[in-house]
Amino acid sequence: MSTLKVINLRPSWTKVGNGLLVLMTLSVFLPFFWLTLGSFKTGAQLNNPRLLLFSPTLENWKEVLSSGVLDSAWRSAIVGLVTVSFSIIIGSMGAYAISRYKTGESATRFGILAAQVLPPAVLVFPFLEVSYQFRLNDTLFAVIISHLSFVLPVVTWFLIGFFDAAPKEVEEQALVDGLSKSQAFRKVVIPQVAPGIGAAAVFGFVLSWNDLFYALILAPGNSATLPVKIASFNTFRGVELGAMCAAILVAVVPVVIVSFFIQKRLVRGISGGAVKY
Amino acid sequence: MSFRLRLMLPLWVVFIASVGYPLLYALYLSLTNYKITARYDTKIVWLKQYKATLQDPNFWSSLQVTATFVILAVFIEFWLGLFISLALQKQKRIRNLTRSFLLTPMFVTPIAIGLMFRFLLNQQLGVIPTFLDKFGLSYDFFGPGKAIFSIVLIDVWQWTPFMVLLLLAGLEGLSKSPFEAAKVDGASAFFTFRKITLPMLMPVISVAVLIRSLDAMKVFEYVFAITRGGPAIETVTIQYYTYQTGIQFYKLGLASAMSYVLLIFVMIIVVFLFKRIEANRRNP
Repeated sequence: MSTLKVINLRPSWTKVGNGLLVLMTLSVFLPFFWLTLGSFKTGAQLNNPRLLLFSPTLENWKEVLSSGVLDSAWRSAIVGLVTVSFSIIIGSMGAYAISRYKTGESATRFGILAAQVLPPAVLVFPFLEVSYQFRLNDTLFAVIISHLSFVLPVVTWFLIGFFDAAPKEVEEQALVDGLSKSQAFRKVVIPQVAPGIGAAAVFGFVLSWNDLFYALILAPGNSATLPVKIASFNTFRGVELGAMCAAILVAVVPVVIVSFFIQKRLVRGISGGAVKY
Repeated sequence: MSFRLRLMLPLWVVFIASVGYPLLYALYLSLTNYKITARYDTKIVWLKQYKATLQDPNFWSSLQVTATFVILAVFIEFWLGLFISLALQKQKRIRNLTRSFLLTPMFVTPIAIGLMFRFLLNQQLGVIPTFLDKFGLSYDFFGPGKAIFSIVLIDVWQWTPFMVLLLLAGLEGLSKSPFEAAKVDGASAFFTFRKITLPMLMPVISVAVLIRSLDAMKVFEYVFAITRGGPAIETVTIQYYTYQTGIQFYKLGLASAMSYVLLIFVMIIVVFLFKRIEANRRNP
């Protein structure tokens, strides 16, 4: 009965909490809302930021979609897909070895952790200099290599947690049934952690898709990725606010949709490495 | 070669190629007078670039700006994130929807967030300043003495969700029995929070704060999108200063030396973080 009594004591805190959540939800929603409004306003309408009812124009969107933003989104997608594919293949093998066999455990784990938080300013100049030497500057190749430097560690770290959580019994049974270790890994273990691999792939892709620093320095010109392209709406075209709003939304919307739908597993993967479930 | 080595080898090779080699190359660059505009006159100058870095008042200023930014941003993000996670944990209806929605900002590219707030906080065209204007308040978000706080605010908007994510996972992993005992004893909500929730959550808190601090030290996009370091050099963070030195002034040698000095600070924090994470792994 004591729990009932306590629940009656608490509604005030619950109300404060729910009030906070409403406030936070609004503060996340409103900036996106104003951005979307802005993308449908003409230059004159943009001068009145509090204008809510107006006849929308598609000019900004037309301008953005014809300005090469879609091409750069495509390049970002290629960079993300290639980076993630390599990271998943290499990372899942390594993560499994670290999780099951404790291979070079401490040192490798430390390296993987440090690489995730390394300031990009340390690595970017060597990447730039080497890409000059091989005449690969301003190509997607240079960007992909640089993205591997942080996507691979993150994906591996993510997957160690999922392999740790996978039950060992099924795999041991497979070995008893006569599968080799590598067959057991490919046919039994990988399917078990497939949801985790999916989440790691999406998270790795989002990290690559969002990167500005490496892409800006290694491929600022013809191979500009989406973040670099969006940044250029700020610098070289003066104040084209409407078009800028639309361009920002091009980068934001896909990520928001994807992350929204697989968020549970993303959350598990991100927190799994730091907080044991 | 054994099975486990065959599994590890590709990881080690790619890791050494994409992280280890550039790391050593940066060390080499930091010992030379390398400039992009004079690539063929590169000479080893040993510690000259480090000396120049440490004697450069702008470098120290950028460290100070970064430290101010990191401390303020992470402090606010932690407390705000903690209260939001407590509220989310107690929430009864539309739990999953609220969680998914509140976590959204951390998945968006920072340059887009930076430009978005540049638009929303713009003194003539931004909705927030004109709204404040209506109440007779005039506030220039990117004026002298204020810009750095606005950058902090943007970071809080984007990265409090990350705190929420980790702290909420931590809260939900705590064992229930101490809380039930406290209820039976009739402890106040504040007492329970201070004497039970906080201490039990400490391992997760320290990991969350350390990861967030390391990440905040890399702040670049908001500065690049909005202030470009201004007014004067008030918002030149270390990452932005290194970018300016290396890319705008072509001094790759000097920029590498700067980034290596930064690396020392980062590695000290990483060691703490690693110890904490390994301890959490052993005692879940």
